Amino acid sequence: MVWNLLLKALGETLYMVGFSLVLSAFFGIPLGIILVITEPRHIKPAPLIHKLLSTVINIGRSLPFIILLVAIIPFTRLVVGTSIGTTGAIVPLTVSAIPFVARVVESALLEIDRGVIEAAQAMGATTIQIITKVMIPEAVPGLILGLTMVAVSLIGYSAMAGAIGGGGLGDLSIRYGYQRFRGDIMFLTVVILVAIVQGLQSFGSWLAARLNRR
Amino acid sequence: MPQVMIELANVTKIYGRGEKRVVALDNVSLKINKGEIFGIIGLSGAGKSTLIRCMNKLEVPQAGTITIAGQEITKLKGKELRETRRKIGMIFQHFNLLSSRTVYGNIAFPLEIAGVKRSEIKERVLSLIELVGLSDKISAYPAELSGGQKQRVGIARALANNPEVLLCDEATSALDPETTKSILGLLQDVNQRFNLTIVLITHQMNVIKDICDTVAVIEDGRIVEQGPVVELFARPRTPTARRFMKSVLPTEVPAEIKERALKLDKNWPGKTVRISFIGEVAGEPVISSLIRKFQVDVNIIYANLDYIKNIPFGSLIIDLMGEGPKIEAAMQYLEDLGLKLEVLNGVEPTA
Repeated sequence: MVWNLLLKALGETLYMVGFSLVLSAFFGIPLGIILVITEPRHIKPAPLIHKLLSTVINIGRSLPFIILLVAIIPFTRLVVGTSIGTTGAIVPLTVSAIPFVARVVESALLEIDRGVIEAAQAMGATTIQIITKVMIPEAVPGLILGLTMVAVSLIGYSAMAGAIGGGGLGDLSIRYGYQRFRGDIMFLTVVILVAIVQGLQSFGSWLAARLNRR
Repeated sequence: MPQVMIELANVTKIYGRGEKRVVALDNVSLKINKGEIFGIIGLSGAGKSTLIRCMNKLEVPQAGTITIAGQEITKLKGKELRETRRKIGMIFQHFNLLSSRTVYGNIAFPLEIAGVKRSEIKERVLSLIELVGLSDKISAYPAELSGGQKQRVGIARALANNPEVLLCDEATSALDPETTKSILGLLQDVNQRFNLTIVLITHQMNVIKDICDTVAVIEDGRIVEQGPVVELFARPRTPTARRFMKSVLPTEVPAEIKERALKLDKNWPGKTVRISFIGEVAGEPVISSLIRKFQVDVNIIYANLDYIKNIPFGSLIIDLMGEGPKIEAAMQYLEDLGLKLEVLNGVEPTA
């Protein structure tokens, strides 16, 4: 019984975190790239776009997740047809993670040696070639570490998905562990969450180190 | 008439504005011939880096034109600029290799960018790796290479698209003297093998001395002196040029000799003379001629000899002893040979 509950909640957490991680990376990585290349002395300087994008990202980052969760309910309904349940939680999780991903990508890309980008320019590389053949490959370890950080944060945010019936481990521990005084369930969910985060971080760090050629 | 490969006309580059305004290049004009190794030397902040970066438009000058192989690069944009840049190789002080790619991948990179077919890339990369002597490092990542090996990869990469010009931005400044020599040797080799025009900037006079045909001295954004390297060594006109020369030639007279010269009586009939020479005359039996023709005694006090591009260059300090008129005649003879004479009796020799 307890194990069924835990297993179902674990599945929900992984479903929410997995989907929103992939989706936020899909939208956030290009934003992070644009943020970097539009910088004043980078390969496609565009101060206006840079400033605008940066401001929007800051606004996104400043909203507490629990508020964003309910504030964008109409948008969520528009996108997935429902504003409740596990699927309904994916939209706000993604929306909140996109600006986070953009900043993480920005810092990873700014780590790259400018000289390497300059060398590519001197060789006659196009902007797209510089992004795909220089910036992204050179930043892979930083990008992996950054996305690992995003994934860990998403696990934390997903605990609040219970507020809209999203389910998951966090929700289980609140409803059973806290509200029904089931200390054992509380304990087990905490153990599982700790294990997931530990495993995820170790994997991310290992992969980043393995791919680091510097 | 040598063919002009690169021509700069009145190039001016200014950074910043208002109080922060810095004139990095001030009306620079240069002509660089096809197939020569052209060195630009200057202290840091003189504008040499800006100058070489203008040549492939990594920096855009505010005024003036730069023409490379008949193409006015200062006018080019977009696709045309990118295609022209492929014909201008560049190597850097800090190598700027892709850390995520192996030696092979780094050299293949400019070819991939140019859209060369995979099979052709392989053939080309393998021959380049052999040219720079890194066949055993083909799968190594830059982090596993020494500085000299990294620069060899940089050179192979720069040569991948068969450029007409190779720009070297302080290419040996991060290397130890031994490695510098080997990299300079490689540059000289590719210069001769492919009749490649090489432009290099440096603050190291030995780089100029070892491989350059022509040199320009840059100071405060201006070219203050320009000409064949041998000429610069023979007749430096500016203090900057003289200072750079001193760094590679042992023209500094030892302190003991300076003191000795100072103590000499101006009325002493003998003379202590410094003779500076360059070129063929260094191979002639000047001293024995002096003794035989003018019956003077010669005592050699100090001598040094060096070679710049196979031309001997050096100075000699001797005591001339004997009768007054004979010494005068002997000195006249030396001057007639085209040697630069300086009497050191009672004066402190300058460098």
